[in-house]
Amino acid sequence: MNTTNEKMPSDQSKMPNGEPLASGPSGIDIGTANIVVAQKTGKREITRVQLNAFYTLPYSRMTELALLNEGGMFVKANGKIHALGYQAENFANIVGGIVKRPIAGGILNAKEEDTTFIIQALLNKLIADAPVKNTKICFNIPGSPIDDTVSVFYHEAIIKKYLEQKGYQAEPVNEGLAVVLSELAVSSSNQPYTGIGISLGGGMCNVCFAYLAVPVVTYSIRKGGDYIDAMAAEAVGETPGKVRIIKETQLNLTKTPVGKIETGLHIYYEQLFGILVKSLQTQLGSTDRIPLLRKGVPIVLSGGVAMSPGAKEKFKLALDTVRLPIVISDIILAKQPLHATARGALKNISSVKSGK
Amino acid sequence: MTAWLFGICAVIIHSPDEIRARIIEETLKARGMNVCVCPTLADMDAMLKQRSSWVVILDTCHSLSAFMPFLTRLSQKKREGKALRISLILQSEDFCVQSDEALQDFKFRRLFCLPDPIDPEKIADLARRARPSIIPVIIAFLKNTILETIRLFLKTMIIFFILVIGLAGGYVVTCITSLPSTESIENYTPYQSSEMYSADNVLLTEFFIQRRTYTPLSQIPPHVSQAIIAVEDTRFYKHNGIDIIRIGGALIADLKDRTYAQGASTITQQLAKMLFLKPDKTITRKVKEIALSFKIEKNYTKDRILEMYLNQAYFGARAYGIEAASQTYFGKPITAIDISEAALLAGLLKAPSLYSPYKNPKKALKRRNLVLKQMIAYDLISSGVYKKAVTSPMPEKFHGRKYKAPYFVDHCRTVLKPKLGDRLFSLGLKIYTTLDYKMQEIAERAVNRGLDELDKRCAKGIQAALLAVELSTGRIKAMVGGRDFQISQFNRATQAWRQPGSAFKPIVYLTALNQGFKPQNTIQDSGTRYVLKNKQTWTPRNYTGVYHGTVTLKQALAHSYNAAAVNLASRVGIKNVIRTAQRLGITSEIKPYFSSALGASEITLLELVCAYAAFAHGSRIEPMIINRIMDIDTFTITEPRVSSSRVIGERELAYLKSLLRAVVLQGSGRKAAALNREVYGKTGTTNGFVDAWFIGFDDFLAVGVWVGRDTLTPIGEGEAGSKAALPIWIEFMKGVQQAQ
Repeated sequence: MNTTNEKMPSDQSKMPNGEPLASGPSGIDIGTANIVVAQKTGKREITRVQLNAFYTLPYSRMTELALLNEGGMFVKANGKIHALGYQAENFANIVGGIVKRPIAGGILNAKEEDTTFIIQALLNKLIADAPVKNTKICFNIPGSPIDDTVSVFYHEAIIKKYLEQKGYQAEPVNEGLAVVLSELAVSSSNQPYTGIGISLGGGMCNVCFAYLAVPVVTYSIRKGGDYIDAMAAEAVGETPGKVRIIKETQLNLTKTPVGKIETGLHIYYEQLFGILVKSLQTQLGSTDRIPLLRKGVPIVLSGGVAMSPGAKEKFKLALDTVRLPIVISDIILAKQPLHATARGALKNISSVKSGK
Repeated sequence: MTAWLFGICAVIIHSPDEIRARIIEETLKARGMNVCVCPTLADMDAMLKQRSSWVVILDTCHSLSAFMPFLTRLSQKKREGKALRISLILQSEDFCVQSDEALQDFKFRRLFCLPDPIDPEKIADLARRARPSIIPVIIAFLKNTILETIRLFLKTMIIFFILVIGLAGGYVVTCITSLPSTESIENYTPYQSSEMYSADNVLLTEFFIQRRTYTPLSQIPPHVSQAIIAVEDTRFYKHNGIDIIRIGGALIADLKDRTYAQGASTITQQLAKMLFLKPDKTITRKVKEIALSFKIEKNYTKDRILEMYLNQAYFGARAYGIEAASQTYFGKPITAIDISEAALLAGLLKAPSLYSPYKNPKKALKRRNLVLKQMIAYDLISSGVYKKAVTSPMPEKFHGRKYKAPYFVDHCRTVLKPKLGDRLFSLGLKIYTTLDYKMQEIAERAVNRGLDELDKRCAKGIQAALLAVELSTGRIKAMVGGRDFQISQFNRATQAWRQPGSAFKPIVYLTALNQGFKPQNTIQDSGTRYVLKNKQTWTPRNYTGVYHGTVTLKQALAHSYNAAAVNLASRVGIKNVIRTAQRLGITSEIKPYFSSALGASEITLLELVCAYAAFAHGSRIEPMIINRIMDIDTFTITEPRVSSSRVIGERELAYLKSLLRAVVLQGSGRKAAALNREVYGKTGTTNGFVDAWFIGFDDFLAVGVWVGRDTLTPIGEGEAGSKAALPIWIEFMKGVQQAQ
C-alpha cells in the first residue's frame, strides 16, 4: 500500500520551499523533464517548475529524517522511500545514482515501477485540491508519435483521472497547440493563433500547425533533449548527466563547439532538427487540411531544448534545407520556453477552445 | 437583431474532415459570422428543417459523388418549397464542378464551387455574398414567427376549446343534476283565483294573486290553441322540446336584422321556464330550460303540455291562463271566444304590455292581424274567415275583477284572510257566502234612495249603513257599509262605533223584564237629578223636553222617554244592563254610566242588529258570513255551523216583543206599521241628531239602519231615527217582502 510521508511540512498548502500549492484554474505541462504549473493570480500569471523525477531508496528512519531535514518532497511506499523532484536529483547526486523519470518519451514511463503513483504524488505536491468542484484545469498531451506506435491515450486518461480526483474538471490540450496559444496571440500572418508551434522537450518534440487555433496538423517525434544527451554521451563516452549539465550550462550552438561533448551536442542538435524539419515537410505535405494561406506563418520554438543559445538559428539552418508546403514567415523563440506549454494550457482554459 | 438574424447558423458547414470544417468555421467566425458545423449529413438535414434560408458549405473531401444523393435531396426540398433559399458553396476536387450540368440543374440560389486547397478567406467572402439579404431573412423570420404563432394559437385554441367543452359539459351536468323533477308537475297547481259567491250563486268577486281559472284543453276551442301554436311554436307537434330548425331560422333573422328580436323558445321551453325557473337571462337558466324541456316532453303528451302552457301563460292585465285572459279582455269565458279574439290573446303572449289593446291598440291590432296571417299561412283558417276576423273590433272595455256587495266582500276578506292566509288568493277556492244578492240589491237601492232623500234635506256627506241578519241562523243576508265603496271603504256596518241612542234602551228594558218587571209596570219619567262620580249632577231630559210622570214601561219605551229609561236603569242597576248587553253578544265596552242607558256607549250596527235578532226569538246568534268553502276539486273544506244560545226567557221575550211592537204601533216607529205585517223595532237618535238609527225585525230578518256623518256632526235638524233611518228600513223591508 502506498502512503505519503507521515511527516509532511506543517503547512500542507505549501510546497517544501514555502510556496503555496497551486489551486484554482491552472495549466499544467507534464513534460518528460519537468512539470510546469501556470496559474493566474489576478492579472499576474505565475509559473512553477519542478523536476519530473524521482529517486527511490530503501526505507530507513534515517533516510526519512534526512529528507525531512532537507525539507524536500518524498513519499513512502512498499518499504521504499521516493524522493521527488529536485530532491530526487539532489539525492541522486549525493549517492551517485541516476534519477528516474515517471515520464519517458513524453508519456508515462511503462518501464518504471510505481510510475503512476509517483506522478500522482508529484501532482499532489504541486497542486492543491480544487477550491471549487469542477474548477477547470488544462494539461498537455503529446501529439501522436510518427516514429513510434505507442498511444498517448493511456497517458491522457491517467493524468485526467488524477486531476479529477482532486476535484478539477481536467481538459487536455495538444502540447504544440499550447505553444501556439501561448506565443502566437498576435502573429505575423495577421491571423491570431496561426502558425507552427514546436515544443522541444526532454522526451519528444511536439509539433502543431494551427490555423486560428484549430490544430490542423499535430504530431510528435519521440526524440528530444534526452535523446540528444543520450546520443552525445554515448558517442563521446560520457554519462548523460554530465552531457546534460554541459548542455544546460555551457552550450552555445551559434559558436564553434568546444570539446567532444559540445561537439556531440552540436551534432545531435543538428540531427534532431533535421529529423524535425523533415517531419514537417512530410506531415504538412501529406495532408489536404492545410488551407490556402495568403501570408507566411511563423514557427515558434519552446521547451528545454530550445533554451540552448543558438538553438533557433540551428533550427533555421535545418529548415532552410527543406521546402514546406506553406511559407514560413518567421522563426521565433518562446519568451519563456520552459513555461510556454503550461501558459498555453492555461490560456486554453479561458480564451481558446481546446485544439483537440 | 441583425447579428442575431444573420448569426444563428445562417451558415452551416459539413465536412467529413472535422479539422477542415473547423478551419472554415473559425475563419467565418473571425469575420463575425455565426456558423454551425454539422458533423453528419443527417445533422445538416435536421438543421435545414428549421428555417428556409441557408448558406450551405459542403466540403466533399474529394468525393463529390458520395454527396450527390444529399445534393439531390436538397434540390428536391427546394422544389417542394421546404427549403426555399439555399446557397451552396461546394468545396470539392480540383476540376470545375460548376460546369457539371447536374449541379447547375439543381438551381440553388447561388452555387460556388471551389477547388482544394481550402481557401477559408474566399469561402468567407462567398458566404458573406451568398448570405441572404436582410429582407428575405426578416420575411423568413416573420413567416416562421407568424407560422409558429399561428400554430401556437391553434394549439392554444384547441386546448381552450377542449377545456371549454369539458367545463361546459361539467356545467351542463351540474345544471341538469340540479333540475327540479318534472314529475312535480303532476302535483303542480297553478295559482288560481278564488271566487266568492252569494248564497244565491251570484259571483261577488275573485280573490287572486294571479287571476287564473284552470281550464282543461278539451274546453278550450281548437282555434284558440291553433292561434297560439301558429304564432308561438308552429312546429310544436313535431319537435321534442327544442326546435333546432327554428333556432337556426331565428339566428339568421337576428343576424340579418342585427337584433336579438327573434326568439326560438318552443312552447315546451316557455312552459319549463314558467313552471320551474326564474325569468333571468342567464346561461344557467337556458341550459336548465332546455334540459327541463326534454324531460317534460318525455313525460307528458303534447296536449297536456299545451294545456299547462295555456293555463300558465301570462296575458297581461293580471290575467294568467287563457280563461282569465278571455274574461279580462272580453268579459266572457274562453268557450265563447271567436277567432279574432283568439288571435288577439295569442298575440299578447310575446309581450302582454306592449301588445295590450288598452295601452297600445294599434300595436295590438297589428299583432293580432299578424297572428291571423300566420293562421292562414298554415291553413288553419280560410281566407273568408281571415277577412272577417281582421275587421273585427278590438276590445275597449276592461273586464277586471268583479266586486259586488263590496262592503260585505271586504268584510269577508277581512275575516277570512287570517284564517286562510294566501290560500284565499291562490287555491281557486269557491267561497259561498250567506249574502242574498237580491236582498243586497234591495238594501243598496234602499240606502241609496234614503240618502238621496237626505241629500235633499241636509248637507251633503251623509253616510248610511244597513245590515240584515237572518233571525234563525245569524246569516248576514245584506250589508251596506256606506254610500260608495269606491269612495270610502270604511264599513259603517261593522267598523263604525257610534252611540246607539235610544236604540240601546230595549236592553235596559230587557234587564228590567229579567228582574220581574212587566210591560204594565210603571216607572217615573221625571227630572231626577243623578249625582255622578265626579260629584257633578246630571238630569236626563226627554226628546220633547217634557217629563211624563208615572208611565208604564211600554209607554216609556214606545215613546222613548229618556228620564224613565234612566230611572229604570238606576233601578235595575247599570251593571246589570251591561251584563244583559254582553249576554246578547255586544262586545263593545258599555260604560257603567246612566247615560249608557240612553245609548251613550258606542257600539257597532252589527252588534246592535245581532242583539235585536235575539229579541226576535230569545237566542243569541253569532253573525255568519260564510255558508261553505270548497276547494278546487269541489271538496268542502269548511261549512260553518249556526251558533245560537238561548239568552232570553220565553216570558221576558214575549214582554220585550210587546214593548218593541208598541214602538211600531204607537211610538217613534209608527211609520213601520205601513208594512202591514208584524214588525218590531226601535228608533235611536243621539244628541244633536248626530246619529239616527232604526233597528227592527220581523219573523225572518233583523235589520238595522244607521244614518250619520263620519265627521260626527249633525245629520240635520230634526233628522231623528224615525225620520232619517226608518224610511230606509221600511224601504228595504218592503223590497224584501216584494221579492219574496
